[in-house]
Amino acid sequence: MRFGRTHPIALTLIVVAAVLMMVPLVWVLALSFKANAALMADTNSVFHVPYTLANYRTLFGDGQVFRWIMNSLIVSLGMTAGVLILSSLAGYGFARLDFPGRPVLFVIVLLGLAVPEQAVIIARHQMLSLVSMHNTYAALILPGLSAPFGVFLMTQYFRAIPRDIDEAALLDGASRFKVFWKVLLPLTVPAQATLGIFTFLSAWNDYWWPLISATNKQMFTLTVGIASTQMNFAQTEGLGFLMAQAVLAGLPILIVYLFFQKYIVQAVAGAAGR
Amino acid sequence: MADAFSEPTAPIPVALPRKRRGDWTNALFVLPYLIVFVAMIAVPLGWGMWLSTTKSDLFGTEGFVGLANFTRLLGDPIFLETVWNTFYFVLLTVPALAVIGLALALVLNREARWAAVLRTIFFASTVLSVTVVTLVWRLVFLPDSGLLSVVTRALGGTPVAFLNSETLAMPAIAITTIWWCIGLPMVLFLAALQQVPRSLYEAAALDHASRWRTLTRITLPAIRRTFALVLIIEVILQFQLFGQPQLMTLGGPNNATRPIVLFIYETGWRQWELGYASAAAQMLFAMILIAAMAQYWLSSRKEAR
Amino acid sequence: MSSVALDRVSKQYGATTVIDGLSLAIDAGEFVVFLGPSGCGKSTLLRMIAGLESVDGGEVRIGERRVDHLPPGERGVAMVFQNYALYPHMSVRENMAFGLKNARIPADEIDRRIAAAAESLEIAPLLDRKSTQLSGGQQQRVAIARAIVKEPELFLLDEPLSNLDAALRMRTRLEIAQLHQRLGTTMIFVTHDQVEAMTLADRIVVLKGGQIEQVGTPMDIYLTPRTEFVATFVGSPKINLLPVTVSATDGVARAQLANGTEIDTAVPAEGLPAGMMTLGLRPECVRPAPLDSAALHAKVQVVERLGERTLLHVALDDGTLLVAEDAGLSSIRTGDRIGLRIAPERAHLFDADGIGHQPARRG
Repeated sequence: MRFGRTHPIALTLIVVAAVLMMVPLVWVLALSFKANAALMADTNSVFHVPYTLANYRTLFGDGQVFRWIMNSLIVSLGMTAGVLILSSLAGYGFARLDFPGRPVLFVIVLLGLAVPEQAVIIARHQMLSLVSMHNTYAALILPGLSAPFGVFLMTQYFRAIPRDIDEAALLDGASRFKVFWKVLLPLTVPAQATLGIFTFLSAWNDYWWPLISATNKQMFTLTVGIASTQMNFAQTEGLGFLMAQAVLAGLPILIVYLFFQKYIVQAVAGAAGR
Repeated sequence: MADAFSEPTAPIPVALPRKRRGDWTNALFVLPYLIVFVAMIAVPLGWGMWLSTTKSDLFGTEGFVGLANFTRLLGDPIFLETVWNTFYFVLLTVPALAVIGLALALVLNREARWAAVLRTIFFASTVLSVTVVTLVWRLVFLPDSGLLSVVTRALGGTPVAFLNSETLAMPAIAITTIWWCIGLPMVLFLAALQQVPRSLYEAAALDHASRWRTLTRITLPAIRRTFALVLIIEVILQFQLFGQPQLMTLGGPNNATRPIVLFIYETGWRQWELGYASAAAQMLFAMILIAAMAQYWLSSRKEAR
Repeated sequence: MSSVALDRVSKQYGATTVIDGLSLAIDAGEFVVFLGPSGCGKSTLLRMIAGLESVDGGEVRIGERRVDHLPPGERGVAMVFQNYALYPHMSVRENMAFGLKNARIPADEIDRRIAAAAESLEIAPLLDRKSTQLSGGQQQRVAIARAIVKEPELFLLDEPLSNLDAALRMRTRLEIAQLHQRLGTTMIFVTHDQVEAMTLADRIVVLKGGQIEQVGTPMDIYLTPRTEFVATFVGSPKINLLPVTVSATDGVARAQLANGTEIDTAVPAEGLPAGMMTLGLRPECVRPAPLDSAALHAKVQVVERLGERTLLHVALDDGTLLVAEDAGLSSIRTGDRIGLRIAPERAHLFDADGIGHQPARRG
């Protein structure tokens, strides 16, 4: 941490930059409170009253957005739960147990970190087409469960726990699973929080895979839904309505961010550092 | 009381077989994950590679064509333009992200309340999805009624339609992306700055070093590794550019903003030429790997010096 | 409580043999200390008995049962770890109950045992605290309590005092001794600290390089060290070692120093190997004496006053350094020339292989 006064120029610049960062969001917020007709006539009308909640009323009445939010919630929560379970089990296995081929398998998982989505997405799509699994929650959740980052994180975390706790538990007659479940897992809560938040956020914001897998409007996640309505706007007719959608899509996440900021930042930074 | 030195009268007992620690039942813990890994990463990777050597479309796979897809890619003017566009985009965004991120981190690395507030603001955009971000920024770049146009007119100038201009569209997407992604580099640099031991700064102060000197001689060298890390991460991330051009410009105008991933998407899911798309995907994979390794090699050479 | 028998056990790590065909018999109710420097295999041996390390050859028996193939939880063994190894997220009570629950002991019995152990170790007020909220000394007691409640056949303690500060160490040492008196359970205690070994053990097993150097009561080890290693490892300050040539006189060995001085010993002359030997003299057997009657003359270089005794670091005429001892109220000063007398019945002789030849004991 630095102490002492910040140079006034630096301070001014950064405040200006911060304002610039917020302006687009404020703009969208403002637009959402104007009637579509007014905006179509003249966008500058955003600076004047009257403001209206009409866009939001239409939004809530439509109900489609809520379907999308529900889908996103199911997929994100499902993926988060799945990743936490699979990664914790695998992390314990790699960190604490011995089995034939362990080092090789671990290296293979690590190599998986280098594989970008583009290299596997076409084949994944084909695979799930073959078993007609598209447009299901399972299809949306499954690919995300394979991310090696979770296994890597949990393995490192388990490794850092002193072994004599395992040994004390073994002497206390615990089976390997009991050592995992009752003794070690409760000690990994910080890692679980980081991994859970990161996975939830990735799942919520995922775009390409849900775009090609959930092609049915009913199965759209929020991210895809917002994209779909965007496609349809060439004219500023539904501008206010569109903005209301954007606000509904972005605001909850921003609020969650404000509350869990510490964890979210930690999670994203930790993931990047891998 | 027997002591340790009595003569053995019986043959040395052999250890009884016990649950060997190298037990395959231990593998049951990693099995669930491994199954998903194989199904969702290993198999698709191999499948993708095989697909790239076939001529495939909506009606099925027609057969092995060897490297024909790859040669076709190398001669495809649109693909080559997407490669160029992608490189151009990476050049526009990555240095800016690294430098601006570092500048923000340097200024905001303090415990003051206002610094915490500003850090929150700069990171907030990163948690939004690409579709929300593109929606917001289309609003900014809208030709007549966008925020940018409104402000330009208010300042007395003529508004420019960024997204419709062949030369300005990519920079516009770059600006959008920098706004979106600046949080991560800033946070990584903040973490690195906090690792620099205070005693280094104290020694510099005792040596009567100016602020600039301290910055260039102490701070920057200390975070060199993080700088390399940020570059690698951002290069890999921005190489995979997809949502912004797809939603903001549809790859246009006139292919000016079409990146490799958009090419893959359209070839695969619009034209249904899966083999061709796979080949493009493999090339992208190779490019990312090479870029990352080159980066790594460069930065480790610098370290050795 | 049970006896413990090790029959030619061995262990390899890859190509290295860390324990080589070691045999040992421990009586039921005994307090045995495994003593040795780092890397001698004492902890490995303990962990092999516990089941935390595999046994590559030989047999381990606890009582009548052969246990070397059993997992740790089935051996009837409790262990106190150097770093306590308490479960961090559980309360003290839960720490103590964990093993009992796994053994399916009824809840009221668990409560009874916990209450009894908590009282005897004075940790009753701590029962509902999280184990991470305790001081080092408290954690150590909880670790011991956790072992007691299991009512094991065998208690294993792996350097339990190493992480405590000096004052706490002495206090806990005393408590462990009292614990053994109270419970009577067979105990195996591992340490590198010879004071702990000497004060706590019924018998000490001195280990070096994966093999047993000597097994005996503390006084046996101290007075009749079987090897040079044992003689130097036990006893503070270290035993003086001087190269000598030996001749037989009246049936006992007489040692001659390099400078010609002759020292009588009580070691029987017969059976002594030929060649150079090493004379071992503990500092407390080397005492100041009037110059004219003493065989050895020396100049005092450093005087260390400890209060209950004084250590004199002296140099003989030929430069050989010795540590001698005098009473606490010694008036000898640095630079003094003094005479030294040796108690012949306390002189040890070690041959070229380091094997000790013991003075004949009186009575």
